[in-house]
Formats: sequence, C-alpha cells, structure tokens
Amino acid sequence: MAENTLNIYEKKAEEMTRVTFITAKDVFAQTDGGFLSLDANGVHYDRVKVVRLFPFSDANRYLSIREYGNEGREIGIIEDLDAMPEDSKKAIEHQLTLSYFTPVISKIYSIKDEYGYAYFHVMTDKGECRFAINMGSNAVSKLSDTRLIIMDVDENRFEIRDVEVLTQKEKRMLDMFL
Amino acid sequence: MILRYDIPQTIKNKIALPGDEKIYYAVPYDIDENGKWTDNSYLVVTTSRIYVFSGEEVRKDIAISDLEQAKAEPGVGGGILTVKSHGENRVLAHYSSRHLSRYAYIARGINILISGRFEEVISNEYEKVCPHCGRVIPGTKTCPKCSGEGRFLGVFLKMASPYKKQFFGIFFLMIMAAVTTLLNPEVQKHLINNVLKDGGDMQTAFGFLGLMFLLSVGIVIVNIMKSNASARLGSRIASDLRGQLFEKYQKLPLSFINDRRPGELLNRITQDTRYISDFMADVFCNLFAVFFIFIWDIIFMLIINTKLALISFILVPVVSAVMISFRKTISRIFHLQYKKNDDVSSDLQDVISGMRVVKTYGKEEDESNRFKRVAGDFALIQKRNERFWAMFDFIVSFLMGLGIVIVVYFGGLDVFSGSMSAGELYQFITYTLLLFQYVGWLGRLPREISRLTSSLERIYDILAQDVDEERKDLKEFDIKGEITFDHATFGYKSYQPVLEDINAVIKPGEMIGIVGASGTGKSTLINLLMRLYETDDGRILVDGTDMKDISRKSYHSQLGVVLQETFLFSGTIIDNIKFSKPDATIEEIIKAAKLANAHDFITKLPDGYNTYVGEKGYTLSGGERQRIAIARAILPNPNILILDEATASLDTENEFMIQKALERLTKGKTTFAIAHRLSTLKNADRIMVIDGHHIAEIGTHAELLERKGIYYNLYNAQIQT
Repeated sequence: MAENTLNIYEKKAEEMTRVTFITAKDVFAQTDGGFLSLDANGVHYDRVKVVRLFPFSDANRYLSIREYGNEGREIGIIEDLDAMPEDSKKAIEHQLTLSYFTPVISKIYSIKDEYGYAYFHVMTDKGECRFAINMGSNAVSKLSDTRLIIMDVDENRFEIRDVEVLTQKEKRMLDMFL
Repeated sequence: MILRYDIPQTIKNKIALPGDEKIYYAVPYDIDENGKWTDNSYLVVTTSRIYVFSGEEVRKDIAISDLEQAKAEPGVGGGILTVKSHGENRVLAHYSSRHLSRYAYIARGINILISGRFEEVISNEYEKVCPHCGRVIPGTKTCPKCSGEGRFLGVFLKMASPYKKQFFGIFFLMIMAAVTTLLNPEVQKHLINNVLKDGGDMQTAFGFLGLMFLLSVGIVIVNIMKSNASARLGSRIASDLRGQLFEKYQKLPLSFINDRRPGELLNRITQDTRYISDFMADVFCNLFAVFFIFIWDIIFMLIINTKLALISFILVPVVSAVMISFRKTISRIFHLQYKKNDDVSSDLQDVISGMRVVKTYGKEEDESNRFKRVAGDFALIQKRNERFWAMFDFIVSFLMGLGIVIVVYFGGLDVFSGSMSAGELYQFITYTLLLFQYVGWLGRLPREISRLTSSLERIYDILAQDVDEERKDLKEFDIKGEITFDHATFGYKSYQPVLEDINAVIKPGEMIGIVGASGTGKSTLINLLMRLYETDDGRILVDGTDMKDISRKSYHSQLGVVLQETFLFSGTIIDNIKFSKPDATIEEIIKAAKLANAHDFITKLPDGYNTYVGEKGYTLSGGERQRIAIARAILPNPNILILDEATASLDTENEFMIQKALERLTKGKTTFAIAHRLSTLKNADRIMVIDGHHIAEIGTHAELLERKGIYYNLYNAQIQT
C-alpha cells in the first residue's frame, strides 16, 4: 500500500522535473467562448493557460502551456511561437493578449507632477492613454540601463523599451524618475 | 468603489428593463477585443441580463438565467470577466488592473443574481483615482481637489478648534510682526527726509535712530515669540493627533489595516503628523503676517508713487517667474543626483551583504569594476550640479539687483523732478525688496497648503473610521467549546476568496488536526476562529451562538493561541506570560511555565523570570520563545485552544516534551492544531484536510487512511521519509 504511494510521489517528482516541448504537431484553437484549446499527445484540453517565461526579454519564446484546472500543471513549453503553424499561433496570441497587458510606451506627450503624484500622458502600442504614478514609491524600476518598467497607482505596468530612442525633451521629462 | 457608473442616456435607451427590473451594476471596461485601450465601453448588469457595450453598440447580451457562474480572473496587468453557460466558458470583458477589484465585486454580484437572490453588492473600498478630475486620491474617501479648495479651511479649522486660545495668541503676534516690519521703512524715510536731507540736528537723528533700533529689536523679539509659539503649538497638535491615531489603530478591524499598504498606516502616524508640526513651524507662523505685510506693502507702494508701484508690479512677477523656473531646474538636477546616490549605496549594500557569494564565485574583480562605473556616473552628475549650484546664488542676486536698478532709475527721475522725496524712494526700495521676498514665499504656498490638506485628510480619514462599537446586546458566557462552521466564506482581498463554503461541526473538547499544503487557507481558518477577521458570507457559531454576537473580550479571554511565529513584547518574561491574564498569581504563572516546559530554562537564566526579552533584550532561542508563548496561551486556562505549528521550531526532544504537556492540556478543550508533521496530530480526534479553499476531507485518522485520498498520500509520504 505504502509502496504504491511512494510510486505516486516518484512519478510526480519525475513529472515535475521533466521538460516537455510542444511542437507544431500539437494543435491549438480558439474556442467559441474566446479561450484557447489544445490537442496534444492524443489529449484534448478545453482550456489552457499560456505563461510567458521571459515576459520582458523573450516575450514570444518559451511559453509554458498549463492546464486551466489541476493546479495549473504544465503540459509543455513552446520554444518559439513563430515556429508554430499560423492558426495555432493566432489562437495563442489571442490568449496572450487576454492574460498579459503591459502597454509599451512609444511617445511621451507630457508628465505633470502635482502633490506627490506624476501624471503621464503617453502613446503606447495599445493606444493613447493617461496614467498616474506615486512619486514616493519606487514606481519606476530598471530592467537594464535603458529599459524601464513604470507601475502606476492601479498597478498597471507600462514598459519603455529603450530610453535612448526618446527625444531629448521626453528624456528630460523622464529624468525626474530615473 | 463605484459599481454603478452614470452611463450615457443613449446607452440606457438600449437596455430593456421590463417591469420592476433595474440596473444593478454599470462599470467601464478599458481594453477592447483587439487588446487596445478603450474609454467608452461599459458592462451593464440588470436584474435579468448582462449587456456588454462598445460605444453605443451592444456587443453581447446574455440572459442571467442561462448562466451557471461568473468569475473575475486576474491576469498580468489586468484581468477578464468570464461566465460559464451550459458548461462552456466565455470571456465577457477585458480590463486593466485599474478595474481588477471592481470586477471582483461585479462577479460576486452576478453570482448572487444567478443564485436567484436580489441583494446588491456594495463596495467599501475607496477609489484610487478621482472619477471627476482624474487626480489620484491620496488614500482618502473623497478627492481633496474636487471636494473643493474650501476643504482646506474645513480640515484646518477642525484641527485648530481645540487650540483656539493658542491660535489667537499667534495671530496677534503675527499682526505685531507685520506692523513692526512695515513701520521700519517709514521711520527710515523720516530719517532721510528730515535729518539727512533737510540738515536736521543730531538730536532728531538720534531720536529716529533710537526708534529704528527699538523697532528692529521689536521685530526680532516678536518673530522669536511667534516662531516659538507656532512650533510649540505644532508639536502639540502633532503629538495629540499621533495619540489619537494610535488609539484608533488599536480599535480598527484587522481587515481595515490589511487593506492599506503596510508602510502607509505607519506613515500617517509618523510622517503626516510631522508634516503638520513642520507646517505650523515653517509656514503657518508666517502665514497671516505675510498676507498682512503683502497687502499693506502694495498699498503703501501705491500711495508713495503709483507709477513706480505699477512698474515694480510688472517687474516682480517676471523676476520671480525666472527664479522659480531656476529653482525647478535645480530641484530636478538634484533629484537626479539623489537618485544616483541611492543607486550607489544600494549597490554597495548589495555587494557587501552578498560578499560571501561574491567570494565563493570569485567575482571580486567584476564587482569592483561595476561599482567603479556606478560611482563614476555619480561623481559626474555631482560635479555638474555643484557647478550649477554655485552659479545659482549669483544669478538670483543679479536678477533681484536688476529689478532694483530699474526701480531706482525711474524713482531717481522722480526724485530729480521733485515729485518724490529721497526718503520716499528709500522707503519704496525697501518695500520692493519685501515684495520680492514674499512673492516667492507665496508661490510656494498652494503646494504647502495642499500637502497639509492631504496630510490632515489622511489623518481624519482614519479618525473618522467607524469602528464597530461593541454592541450592547453582545453575550458573555462560559464557552463549552462547540464550534460550527456554517457556509463560512472569506477572502483577504475582495477578488480572491481563500476559504469557500466551509461547513463542519466540532464537538466540545474535540481535538481537530488541520492539514493541507501551504497557502490553502489553514492559517486563515484559524484567523477566523481567533476573530481577527469576520466571515464575508456564512457564519461561525460557538455553542450555537453566532460568533459576532459574543462579546470580544469574553471570547478572547477564553481562547488560547500559540502561533508559528512567536511574538514577545519588549519586557520581562513574566510580563510576557502575564499578557494573557494580567491578574494571574505567581503560582499560576509558574504552573503554566512548568506545563509549557519553560520553567526549567527560565530558572537557568541569570535574571530568572525577570529576564528582559524582546528586541533589545536577552536573546532567546526559537524553542525558548515558543515555550514562553505556550505558557502565555495556557495561563488563562482557555476552553478553546489554537495551535498553529506550535512545536515546529523545537528540537525533537523538546517537541516530545511539549507534546506530552499539550496532551494533558488539550484534554477536554476544543483544540485546533495545524501541523505539517502528521505525527504531532496522532492524538487528534479528527483530521481536517483543507485543499482548494474547501474542506477536502474530514474524519478520524483511520477513516481518512481508508479513503485513500489526500491525507492517505500525505501520511504515506511522511512515513517513507
């Protein structure tokens, strides 16, 4: 009896340490409800989660595909999204837009500071927007010397990919937060 | 938090509301189907339907009767509202983090409607951003800006009202200061006109000089008195408020404390109150004096020479504007320097505290090079800033001098043409200098006032919190120890339930072992039992009485708790043990200490029971602290005992000893014990396995082994290792 359980744990441990890759032969599709389904190794999953392993440095490579229930068990890892068939890729991308929202700032129109908060008016890849950050907290964190993540008061995250690309005027506005 | 926004009439027209149906919730969602920002989209929930609007267009229209469940699923930087209908999940709306908790309430609201009930969910959370002006609300209920500038006067008067006498005293001193300051140039004018120009005698000269001397001394004395009085009053107000805040914190429910960021409440006691005393000392003490001087200054200038006055009124703001913009640049570049300095020191701290790792991996050289680079950057900025700073003073004096030169030029022309006396010109210049001095000060004022307003608002926000007053009808009785969980549901955050629908009946004197993986809600269950939080839904009954109806004091005096992390207050061992029962006799204390196996080690300490422990005191080992905590828990001889990993930090021998002691103690007492090591639960009457927010299994050790479920696996895994 105990022997049996031990096997369960050993199997679990083995499963935990195994790295499975999901390849072009596994089929992803978008469900009517707007979610992502997967057929892999003869198993059909109604709904799977997609997790970026390197959301900043490699957003479209190394995506962990996990079950929706079952404590989010990992089904496998996609090495490169671009290597997936067009239909699967589209469905996965749609799922990613649902679960990840980190607008990338491409232009800064203005930053106004007022009483401890700074109000940004920017253009992002998701459209124009305004947001506010708390100047007292560490709202701006550096991923590298030129790459920034800005966290607003609502805990939305905005990314600036490369500070050097900004104009002199925009950089000057940002200076206060670097 | 707003759950029913005002939606445009054009959208309202498209919503069908037959009979007495109404709009329950109307909230915006800010991400459209393509993952882009949208600002005109709404989700509307009526009594029977859910509408999703994009602009005025109905995108989705679903009958609530078709639904099984709604769920707000948080993601990275946002979340989605999903519904399940006929076994299939659908996405309804996608929103950024701004609406994360809002949608949690909406999901709860929809689920209530699905279940056929019609209660409306109301949120007590505050909005973070003002829905009217878009400004951030500094942790208060309403936006300080939108509730009007008059708000300042309101809160200020509230703060000042208990100190009327002191305020009037300072007010009087301020008027005195203003009068003496304004009078001095007048005397100087007479000195110049009557003595110097008209060749008056020495005696009049001495008279004027004496008067000037007296006035100067008067200014100094009045100002010292005024600053002193303001500073004293400021620190008194601050200390009074600090006391009130602290008292309130003790009374507030833990859920309120948990809703705020950890540092925030601390800041209200330390920083916000300090800001009030700073404001009183630096700003308020001059406030009315400056206004008074400013107004009379302008009037005097106009009287002396209207043309010249108008010239200076143009000049002063221009010069001030230049100075202010200079100041802004200065503060910007010094902010940069400060940040860089921060980088350098945190880098340094990082490397030094990680020295062992750096050395074991042989990275000394890499680290030095990295540090050299950061320090170099800092030095560069510092050099540039110092250069700029050195110039700043000169530029400011130059600008002010320039202003005076222009005044002297035009004034001099008037003196030559005889329309103005030399004394008046001198007096005029002095007034102009005063104006320069105070314009800058007044420019800073709105900022200071607004900061004070938000500090005061934050303080009064806490002080005005309604604490559930102990109701008069609360019951006090000797608890036998029957505990019933009746559909108890709870979550620390609105959008994350930790325990859902817990149902169980615990008999008096029963010992319940609670097991489950970490993060499943074991400690939460115990927090509920300790009444640190109240259930969101459902009830917990003690001897058939709803826990909420039992007097807190009575309940807590019959409860013994030993937690995983023991907290000892700064004080002696005896103080710490007595904390649970201040009127305990020495015998009781020693008995409790013996039961907890603490007596022996305490007697070995040089100061015995008088040993000072806590942050700066004698360092006890984890096990010793734990034993003191156990003694503290059992001292009042409670009928309900809660042990949260009580013996986890002890060595095997001690654990065995204490287990033995606890065995005797727990007999006849309702006991809840959390343990990872299942062997410590072998005396438990029943085991409760918590998994996935629910009670997954409950039963005796044998029953659960029979079931071959989670407990069976856990048990076997532990005996294997």
